[in-house]
Amino acid sequence: MNTQVLLENLGIRCERLKVKGNTVPRYMCHVDSESIESIIEKLKSAGFKHFVALTCVDWIKDGEFELLYHLFSYESREDVFLSVRIPRDAPIMKTLRHLFPQIETYEREIHEMFGVEFEGNDRLGEFILEDWDDMPPMRKDFDTEEYAKRKYYSVPLVDEGDGK
Amino acid sequence: MKEYELFIGPQHVGITGNFLVHLWVDGDTVVKAEAHPGYLHRGFEKLMERRTWYMNVALIPRICVPEPDVNEAAYAMAVESLMDWEIPERAKYIRTMVLEMARIGAHLFGLGGHAGSLGLYTVSHWTIGDRDYILDLFEQLTGARIYHIYIFPGGVRWDIPDGFLRKLEKVLNYLERRLEFYDNILFKNKIVFERTPGIGVIPKDKAIEWGVTGPNLRACGYEYDIRKLDPYAAYPDLDFEIPHYPDLGEFDVLSDGGDAYTRLVIRRLEIEQSINILRQIIKKMPSGDYTLKRPNPLAWKVPEGYAYARVESSKGEYGYLVVSDGGKMPYRVHVRGPSYTHGVNVIETILKGANIADVSQILFSLDICPPDLER
Repeated sequence: MNTQVLLENLGIRCERLKVKGNTVPRYMCHVDSESIESIIEKLKSAGFKHFVALTCVDWIKDGEFELLYHLFSYESREDVFLSVRIPRDAPIMKTLRHLFPQIETYEREIHEMFGVEFEGNDRLGEFILEDWDDMPPMRKDFDTEEYAKRKYYSVPLVDEGDGK
Repeated sequence: MKEYELFIGPQHVGITGNFLVHLWVDGDTVVKAEAHPGYLHRGFEKLMERRTWYMNVALIPRICVPEPDVNEAAYAMAVESLMDWEIPERAKYIRTMVLEMARIGAHLFGLGGHAGSLGLYTVSHWTIGDRDYILDLFEQLTGARIYHIYIFPGGVRWDIPDGFLRKLEKVLNYLERRLEFYDNILFKNKIVFERTPGIGVIPKDKAIEWGVTGPNLRACGYEYDIRKLDPYAAYPDLDFEIPHYPDLGEFDVLSDGGDAYTRLVIRRLEIEQSINILRQIIKKMPSGDYTLKRPNPLAWKVPEGYAYARVESSKGEYGYLVVSDGGKMPYRVHVRGPSYTHGVNVIETILKGANIADVSQILFSLDICPPDLER
């Protein structure tokens, strides 16, 4: 079945992204956090068997995090992005690792870098960063320069002696 | 039975870069494995949000050390999608040439690494030595051996120098002769027959669901390659095959696919295909401009929107999701490294039940690149 028709039947509004270089069409669809699981299941059974990536975007002006679930179909050769917006002050989302096992890894990273809580994923915790006690660093309001000054400017320079 | 904990990495000859695999072993059988990345995290995605569209080209090759050009190509394609730029035909061919040269270099690196993990160090010395001829070509073309900073949004940085294609032809002839040496020392070697088949198997029915891509997926028996599935650059004009299990050419099929042996053979066959592609490029290289006329690098007006571009790297699908809010810098860039799936989730699953002596071989045969995992 044509993917655009399939998405319309599911009641999802979507737009086509501009593509230059690659050739396959990409659809950006907006869904809500309750229906995401059933939509991914339906797309999976319709041939979208390759889960490409899960991405988080911090839209600080809107006070929202955008989670982008990216699926690809090897058969019909199309890309679908499912965009879910969740509030920034209470970033909670159900885990979807039972659908594709590698979602677990993406969720671990997003939990660490953006502070999104994935309910049901028991492996959230230290992943890439080590002994991190500050704000999740990929958030837009995390100031890298201020952090570097506070963290490293207080460290005294190593005394290399006079070379004797 | 008492279990012991064993750490492979972050400084270990049996690991592909700075990366840690934490093992729980019973005797010499692995009971549980956990991947611990983080030693190469430099926050590229965050850094890219604080640099202009143009400056980022100098930053991103560092995400994948053995094959940096895929980053430049995917990022450039994503920015071109947002800008709605159609690049000149010659630029497409030059990009394809660079990507295929990089693929040969990366595969030689990977082949040598895998052979080294079996104790066949001669192969790694040879492949690293032969890879240097590719690096020499890159030095002549771009001025740098490893991080080329050559593919820019809109085209490439400058035209190919005089006599370069002739030199490339010579190197290809040399590499083709060398393949016979590799076949004799590696694929006719008893150690390879005894140790690689049936090791580190990714089941065919799970491979796609687990997100495995690239040569690792093709070793499982799928003929999927982004160069054919989602063609980019000059690949639609070129004629090439996709080596996949069980179609292994002159090599014997020794297992049911998806194992270390098949992955090794697939990489070896892909070098041959890349040589073939590069020869076609030498013949077909069109004349014309090598880049579009680019606007002032400090003030690019990239329209708002999302763009995703993907290329087939030597390790699998390499993608860039670029989000623009119309500003001078990207709003968000997400790098989909190929090792993200097989470097964490897949190895944690397939290492269970493996012998300790095979662990490093499994890691090398999957060609895990830790920097693209943690970025």
